[in-house]
Amino acid sequence: MIEVLEAPPFATVQDAGFSAGRSWGLPPGGAMDPYFHTLANRLVGNPPQAPAIEWALGTGVLRLTRKSRIAVVGLARVQLNDRPLAAPAFAFPVQAGTRVRIEPDARHRFSYVAVAGGISVPEVLGSRSTYLPGAFGGFSGRLLRAGDRLGMGKSDTTPALEISVTTTGRPMPPGDLWLRVTRGPQWDRFDQRAREAFFSGRFQLAPASDRMGYRLVGPSIHPRGKATLPSEAACPGAIQIPDGGQPIVLMPDGPTVGGYPKLAVVIQADLRLLAQCLPERGIRFTEVSLEAARACYSPPR
Amino acid sequence: MRTSPPAVQPLGEAGWTVTLGDRVERATHERVLALAERLTATAPAGMLELVPGYATLTVFFDPTVADAEALRIRLGELAATPVPPRESEAAERPVVVLPTRYDGPDLEDVAERAGLTRDQVVDLHSARVYRVYLLGFAPGFAYLGDLDAALVLPRRKEPRPRVPPGSVGIAGAQTGVYPLATPGGWHLLGRTEVRLFDPAREPPALLQPGDRVRFEPIA
Repeated sequence: MIEVLEAPPFATVQDAGFSAGRSWGLPPGGAMDPYFHTLANRLVGNPPQAPAIEWALGTGVLRLTRKSRIAVVGLARVQLNDRPLAAPAFAFPVQAGTRVRIEPDARHRFSYVAVAGGISVPEVLGSRSTYLPGAFGGFSGRLLRAGDRLGMGKSDTTPALEISVTTTGRPMPPGDLWLRVTRGPQWDRFDQRAREAFFSGRFQLAPASDRMGYRLVGPSIHPRGKATLPSEAACPGAIQIPDGGQPIVLMPDGPTVGGYPKLAVVIQADLRLLAQCLPERGIRFTEVSLEAARACYSPPR
Repeated sequence: MRTSPPAVQPLGEAGWTVTLGDRVERATHERVLALAERLTATAPAGMLELVPGYATLTVFFDPTVADAEALRIRLGELAATPVPPRESEAAERPVVVLPTRYDGPDLEDVAERAGLTRDQVVDLHSARVYRVYLLGFAPGFAYLGDLDAALVLPRRKEPRPRVPPGSVGIAGAQTGVYPLATPGGWHLLGRTEVRLFDPAREPPALLQPGDRVRFEPIA
C-alpha cells in the first residue's frame, strides 16, 4: 500500500493512456511526459507502461507500507524520514513505513513516481490512466488527496542493471525551447505573413494551461477568411488558432474534435518537452517534414 | 458534384484527414461514413482509429507499422470513388428516444430571443428526428443536427464553467446532450436521465455517427 500523507497540488495515476476511443470522443490521455514515465517504470523493473504517479506543482509525502523500490524521475529532491538521500538517485530501496518526501525541482512541470510492481488501480476502457474531465480512470478518477491509500502491484522481477528506454527523449535544452512541427491540415488557410509571424515569433505559456491544452501568448496569427470550420478531428500536439489569434496546443487530455483551424502540429517526440515547459521560457517553432517526424516517432504502446 | 480529387492533409505524423466538403450537410456526411466503412473493411496495416467529422474523415495510424504514403494514396483513391447512396440504410436505423424534462435555465431566454413561447421552443426542438454527425468535445458528446432554423442562435457569450451531465443544449444549427459535467457554452433547454456515456458499458458511447435521435418531452 502507498499512503498519501501529504498530497502535492496536482498528482494523478497515469499509464500510456487509452488506445481506443477517439472515434467517440475519448482522447488518448496518459502520461504528459511518456519518456520520464517510462524511465521511472524501468528503474524499478516494471513494464514501461505500468501505472505510476504523475506529480506536479509541489511537495508531497508518501509512505509505503511494505518494503519496495521506488523511482522518482524529474529532478526532484527526495527525503527519506526527513533525511536527504545519501547520494542523489532516481531509484532507491525503501523500507516499510518510511516517509518519502518528494519536492519537485523548478525546472520541470511533471515528475513521475513509480514503485516496483506498479500502482494497482482498476482498468477502465483499457487503461489505468486518470481522465480528469470525465472523473474516471486511475485512482477514483481524480487528483490524489491526503489520506488516499493506493494498492501496489506484485513485483517479482529484479530491475536490470542496464536500463533501455525506447521512448524518444531529448534532454530539456537551456534557453528558448524549439519545438519541431509539421504542417497542419489548414496550413493553406494561413498566408505567408501569418506563417512568418508564427515561425519567427517567440511564445510563452499562459497560466490557463493544463492536461487538455497549453495556451500560448505571443504574436497574433490569423487565417484568411472564416475563422472556424465544421468540426473535425484534432490530436495531441495540434496547434489550433482560435478567434483571438493566440495559439492553443492540444495536450493528451484535449478534445478529439474542434472547429478551429490547425496551422501546425507539434511532432510527437517533442510534445513532452512542451508538456514540461514552464511559463517563463520562450517557445519557438521550426518546421520539419513528415518523414523526419516519423523517424523519431515511438508507438504509444 | 465536385471534380477535383478530395484533399488529403496531414494531422501530425500519424494522421491523415481527407476533406469531402466545406459545410455541414447530410449528403457530405453520408460520404464520410461510407468512406469510413470501406476503409474499415479493407483494414490497412497499422491503421488505429477513424474519426469522422462533419465533412472530413481522419485516419490515425502507427507510422512504425503503416506505410504512411501508401495509406494517403489509398485514402485519396477511396474518397474519389463514387459510392452508392446510403440514405435508405440510414433511414432504417431505429430512432433513439431521449425522454427530456424541458426545464433548462436558458429556455426562457431562447424563447425570448427566437420570438417564441416556451412551449413553441419545446415543440420545435422535440418535433424533429436528428442525425448524429460526430462525437467529440467530451466522451459520448454527440453533435446532432439539423436544428429548426427558428432556434438557431450563436453560443452563449459567457460559457458556464460547469454544465451538469444530462443537460440538453443548442448552439448554431446543432443540439446535443452533455454526457459529463464540463464547461459549456450551449443554451440549456432541459435535462435527460439517459446516460450518453458510461465507461462500464460496451460500447461506452450510446450514440454513433449516423444514428437517429429524437427528444421526447416529459413532465
